[in-house]
Amino acid sequence: MQRELRGIGIVLLWVAATTVFAMLLRHYLGILRGAVLYLIPVMFAGYRLGVLPALVAAIAGVILSGYFFFSQFYTFQVASPQEALNLVLYMFVAVVFSHLASSAKKHTEIARQREQQMSDLYAFSRRLAMASDTADIFVAIQNHLANLVQRKVVLLGAADAGNATDVPESVRAGVSHVESDEGLERTVDDGKGDIWLIRRVSPKTPDFGLVAVDLGTVSGKALADMRQRIDDALSDAAATLERLDVARAINEAKMRSETELLREALIGSVSHELRTPLASILGAATILSNAPALAHDKRLQALTGLVRDEAERLNNDIQNLLDATTISRQQVRPQLQWVEPVDIVNAAVEHRRRRLAGHPVKLDLDSNLPIVRADPAQVEQALVQILDNAAKYSADGSPIRVAARPNGHSVVLSVHDSGAGLTAEERRQIGGRFFRGPRHAAITSGSGLGLWIANAFIKANGGTVEVESEGAECGTTVSIHLPISTEAAPLETTIDD
Amino acid sequence: MTEIPSSVLVVDDEIQIRRFLRTGFELDGFTVMEAETGAEALRSATLKPSDLVILDLGLPDMEGADVLERLRAWSSVPLIVLSVRASETEKVRLLELGADDYVVKPFGMAELLARAHSAMRRQLRSSRGEPVVKFGPLSIDFTARAVFINDQRVTLTPKEYRLLQILAQHSGNVVTHQFLLREVWGNDHVEDTHYLRIFVRKLRRKIEADPTQPCILLTELGVGYRLVSSDPVPSAQTAAAPKSLAQ
Repeated sequence: MQRELRGIGIVLLWVAATTVFAMLLRHYLGILRGAVLYLIPVMFAGYRLGVLPALVAAIAGVILSGYFFFSQFYTFQVASPQEALNLVLYMFVAVVFSHLASSAKKHTEIARQREQQMSDLYAFSRRLAMASDTADIFVAIQNHLANLVQRKVVLLGAADAGNATDVPESVRAGVSHVESDEGLERTVDDGKGDIWLIRRVSPKTPDFGLVAVDLGTVSGKALADMRQRIDDALSDAAATLERLDVARAINEAKMRSETELLREALIGSVSHELRTPLASILGAATILSNAPALAHDKRLQALTGLVRDEAERLNNDIQNLLDATTISRQQVRPQLQWVEPVDIVNAAVEHRRRRLAGHPVKLDLDSNLPIVRADPAQVEQALVQILDNAAKYSADGSPIRVAARPNGHSVVLSVHDSGAGLTAEERRQIGGRFFRGPRHAAITSGSGLGLWIANAFIKANGGTVEVESEGAECGTTVSIHLPISTEAAPLETTIDD
Repeated sequence: MTEIPSSVLVVDDEIQIRRFLRTGFELDGFTVMEAETGAEALRSATLKPSDLVILDLGLPDMEGADVLERLRAWSSVPLIVLSVRASETEKVRLLELGADDYVVKPFGMAELLARAHSAMRRQLRSSRGEPVVKFGPLSIDFTARAVFINDQRVTLTPKEYRLLQILAQHSGNVVTHQFLLREVWGNDHVEDTHYLRIFVRKLRRKIEADPTQPCILLTELGVGYRLVSSDPVPSAQTAAAPKSLAQ
């Protein structure tokens, strides 16, 4: 009521202002039919304040135009029937106008709200779909409810749901009460004057848990109003939760996290289970290759060499799998230390000595490189992958050049081969997980993980991996760029002997 | 190789690993004892001390580090750890706890034997005090504190000499960054690996034919440095290894 009175007051002011303006127009510019200006406050009133103020504006406008703008001027009498008709017409237009304006406003309002609701709902269902575990889902539900209710909402009671610590001690007692007593809802005073409403999210199923809503310091009719609003919002939400099949999403999330655990356990145990026999196969092979009984038979020697190579390859594959798991779980944590870049190159080449045996390896290492901050094991592993690729995709006997050089603010470790090379298209795709070009797949087997692992390790160390090739069959250069630390790398002269 | 065979205690819960280690060591002239668990290993090491211990880290009953720590409380027997390629930090920790060296599974028998012999030779050497040790072209005269490359004297600064000396004392086995830093620069500089990088670079320029392709002073990435095994001194071959190195 108060709002409407205020609205009417505002409207009358607008009408008065319009009158003054129309009078000024008549006085200075001789415009007599200023009455039409009254449509403006009517329309504004309809649009901003509602139908009643608009009607008031219309009536006020008719009366005032009768007084000011129709002859006789300054009387409420209207001279001719023509003019009386004009006034009636004016009033009719004004009322229609105000009605149209107010309903247009209402429509926009509803459309806006609906759009907001839709986008909220869309965001909510997206979150549900992407939730990786139940806790995620409950956080999403909680936020969704808080959005609807516009109060602080804590989701409780369901497994993994929200944080009971977000609710005051005194309220928690009420929670367990509702938990044990189906379908009941309660209001609890938290002892600081705030009223909390506790109820099930859905009366049909306990799956969605309980909500505790902080109603604030309200009482009487305001409290009843707010409860009504919350009840409406919650029953909407419960319907939404059912429609979106949240219960299933919750179950699926549970299963997903269990699958994840299972997978980790599996990878852990597989790697252990496979590595133990591998260690004995490899160890035994090295003993056999030195055994006097086999020493003078070249073919048997070759066989033990084969056992050894294959065991080593298998071991590398297992290592790659483990590395890939670490990377996809985003658990690559470099342990940075000062490293001599040349040491990394030497270690990687030594690591792959047997694999590179078919290629002349030319090392071009700058003896005066700045030392870098990096995780030596990870950088070495990356370089090993690149060396593997170089050996794999180039013909036996073709040279491989490994260089370590400074380049601006980085140290570049590069591996150049004269092998299969890359087309522009292959170069664009390379480095993706499991990517293997058809040409490369034709050359040899592989997992397509190598460069992806190299890239991930180097990235974690703050560097980049670059791939260059002049084209198919033109060889490839893959380089690791490691930043030279901005932490002043100590100079040789600063350390006393 | 030696007249009285050396003995090795192999501690591993996997029978296949024990089996191939047994063959490998027996072919090399060792007598082999086995233990499946940490507790068994400690008992065995007390009752019948061996000249060498090979310790796997993945034991069912005890952490490998615990076995190592308890063994080191009373014994300085040469000990090589078998590790999976876990973290460098873990290897460093085991070396700091007193392991003489490690090999990463899977490994070749020759590699393990080389590490083992180096660790045993160090024991022998420290008990006999050899004045001159040769590492290929490099020889170090400990009494004169003089270093020679192909019989040409090389001038080293006191810290460079100290670094080389420590590595030489452990030749064939890895020495951690921390150990080197502590021994050469003192406790305050244990974290200053960059000192070490730069000193090693200078040292390599003096003793290596190609400092970018070191053949004498090798790097164990993320762990430390290793000086190649010293050339065997003829008399060491014929002398029997002390039967028990337990104190």
